[in-house]
Amino acid sequence: MIAETVGFLEKYPSDLGTWDEMFGFDQNIRPSYQNVIKYLLNETSDDLNKKEELAKRLFISQGITFTVYDSGEGIEKIFPFDIIPRIITSDEWKFIEAGIKQRLKALNLFLKDVYSNMFILKDGVIPIDIIYSCPHFIREMHSLKVPGDIYTHIAGIDLIRDFDGTFYVLEDNLRTPSGVSYMLENREITKRLFPDLLPQCKVRSVTEYPNILYKNLKALSPRQISNPTVVLLSPGMFNSAYFEHTTLARLMGVELVEGRDLIVDNHKVYMKTTKGLQQVDVIYRRVDDEFLDPLVFNPTSVLGVAGLMAAYRKGNVAIVNAVGNGVADDKAVYSYVPKMIKYYLNEEPLLKNVPTYQLGNHDERKYVFENINTMVIKRTNGSGGYGMLMGFASTEKEIEEYKLEILKDPRQFIAQPTISLSAAPCYLNGKLSPRRIDLRPFALYGSDGIEIVPGGLTRVALKEGSLVVNSSQGGGSKDTWVLA
Amino acid sequence: MLSRVAANLYWLSRYIERSDGVLRMLKINYASSQDALNEFSWRPVIKIYSDIEEEQLQKMEFNSRAVLEYMVMDKKNPFSILNMITMARENARSVQDHITKDLWQCLNEYYLVIKDPSLAKSLQKDDPVSVLDILIKQIMLYYGTAEVTMERGEGRSFMNIGKYLERSIQSVDVLHVKFGSVDNNPDLLTDTTYWKHLLLSLGGYDLYLKTYRQGIEAENILEQVVLNNDFPRSVIYSVNNIFRYFSKLKNDNQIEDRDLSFSIGKLQSRIKYSSAKSIDQERLTFINSVKHELYHIGNALNDQYFAYS
Repeated sequence: MIAETVGFLEKYPSDLGTWDEMFGFDQNIRPSYQNVIKYLLNETSDDLNKKEELAKRLFISQGITFTVYDSGEGIEKIFPFDIIPRIITSDEWKFIEAGIKQRLKALNLFLKDVYSNMFILKDGVIPIDIIYSCPHFIREMHSLKVPGDIYTHIAGIDLIRDFDGTFYVLEDNLRTPSGVSYMLENREITKRLFPDLLPQCKVRSVTEYPNILYKNLKALSPRQISNPTVVLLSPGMFNSAYFEHTTLARLMGVELVEGRDLIVDNHKVYMKTTKGLQQVDVIYRRVDDEFLDPLVFNPTSVLGVAGLMAAYRKGNVAIVNAVGNGVADDKAVYSYVPKMIKYYLNEEPLLKNVPTYQLGNHDERKYVFENINTMVIKRTNGSGGYGMLMGFASTEKEIEEYKLEILKDPRQFIAQPTISLSAAPCYLNGKLSPRRIDLRPFALYGSDGIEIVPGGLTRVALKEGSLVVNSSQGGGSKDTWVLA
Repeated sequence: MLSRVAANLYWLSRYIERSDGVLRMLKINYASSQDALNEFSWRPVIKIYSDIEEEQLQKMEFNSRAVLEYMVMDKKNPFSILNMITMARENARSVQDHITKDLWQCLNEYYLVIKDPSLAKSLQKDDPVSVLDILIKQIMLYYGTAEVTMERGEGRSFMNIGKYLERSIQSVDVLHVKFGSVDNNPDLLTDTTYWKHLLLSLGGYDLYLKTYRQGIEAENILEQVVLNNDFPRSVIYSVNNIFRYFSKLKNDNQIEDRDLSFSIGKLQSRIKYSSAKSIDQERLTFINSVKHELYHIGNALNDQYFAYS
């Protein structure tokens, strides 16, 4: 099938400098996309506009929204959704799956090591100062035994593709990765938008996610009882991911709690119910480390529970993900993950790292400053696309100011060469246009090993030419199909 | 069930029941205002359903559109339908894992309907009854969805306790205002329109006509609104249901009693073993003591089952 022959594919501007998920370099539609394109050809742009409207309406009426407060008035916003699915072939998925499993295994071993014997530091594989200067290296975790030695129960590994289609890991999210509810909801919406298309294309299902997660959580219970109490700890309704917390709690059938519902007595955690106190065995928390326990971390926080860390250390409650994981997904530690894989597993890394320069290192900093126009500079503990500098898109003045910022505390910054990110077709203003995307599959680490639901969250930079997919920076999402 | 969740379900339900009461009241009074020969005063309605300042009340007392605006859409009136539905939705939002997805969507859609600017415009420019009907229908939808989809468990018991407590308080409030005015103005006792109006506001006029053939009398009204087991807005009907759902909570969930069944049972008996005649003799004293007991039950629920730490 040739692009020129079809309706709204006309003028699809393919850029030879980027990998397009739909078009090959020879301008042919890749086999994985052909069924979808055939289906779309039977629709007019009017039909597609209606589908777009339907998608919006479904999100709004189901309350899949976040509230933006503007002059005291709550306005419901939706996370922008593009109706055209992003498609991953089964071969691509096999590779991704193997790569993530390998990486996660190594990261988990690293966490166990760094909070106990520190062999990897003693062997000089990772410089000690990088670990000790990481704000997410939690000393309270030292020699704290976690159930099954699993730290990274839930991981969201961000992947991108360079111009030749090679997958790179952009970030490891090992603390409280979010977005999985959008993986689930986007699929539900797609079922409504394109009847019969999913089975026709043999798309693998993602609905098992909550069941696997619940099975893993339940298995962590310190009390050997048939029906342990598992709770999901949320910061509350004003958190922008609150919709996700309620969705997961409902799908797993666990109690959604806030810090004020919990109490610690004699190193055991209880929740306050209408029948009195009920012991809690497993906490899937969506509250960051520093707010978990005011006695140990931020003393002014009311989101957590006083005494929680002591109960955790006693082994009376399991916390998911483990506390202190931030040291493994720190952006300065990131560049050592390939070395970790070799050190702990004696394997070559399957998924590549984006080359990363430590600005704490004098020579590397010098090199980065000399080539700043081709670099992306990030804070090591930043997220959400905030506080980034894109060298090629910044003015002299911005660059100079950013350099001063870096020199104040160089350890807090890393630089990476600009990676172009692959593009996928999006339905925008009545026609298909390419936009840049990434991919966040969600991996669940349980006692039976690592399971990855075939799918994930594809984020898309909806602004033309933009390389930033974060929702706070004008990004949206797509349904993500993995073909059988 | 978490205390916070129980409290949210209970309040969610009270807000909805109250909205229902207010909307029906507004609809009936608006119809009367179109029938009135003299200027129609909204004073009693506003008094029952808001805590408005006298000065503001005087300004809008005779202006139906202004009252509707205030009671339905005013953001500054904490008891406006807009604010109550917003609160109901906020409560529902934080307990989404305890209500069905259908019920959550129903409330979320209600919220979107009432936030739609075109509805506010209609209320000012077009037939207000159509707007009130839209809002009442949403509540019917809520009750239907709750009835069909909600699990018959602890959550629903707390919701029903909230619903019937709110409903009984409203019925008592209406009696209180209506009979309170009689003390100052005994002529009202024989004013048929005055009483017809009371019955209409509670949706009990048809039933009254069927039950009592000899015209409208205070004693009969008290009998229907307080004692009639078959009238869904009677005080005894609501109190029986509070008793029923509290007993269910106790039996199904082994929640501790802490004297609450004593209070509820006492109130139930106080009403059940009163005759219409005896109530008519005491009137306000009786109404006040029932009201006091209902408030007591509300506070006890809060202290014993919902309160934190």
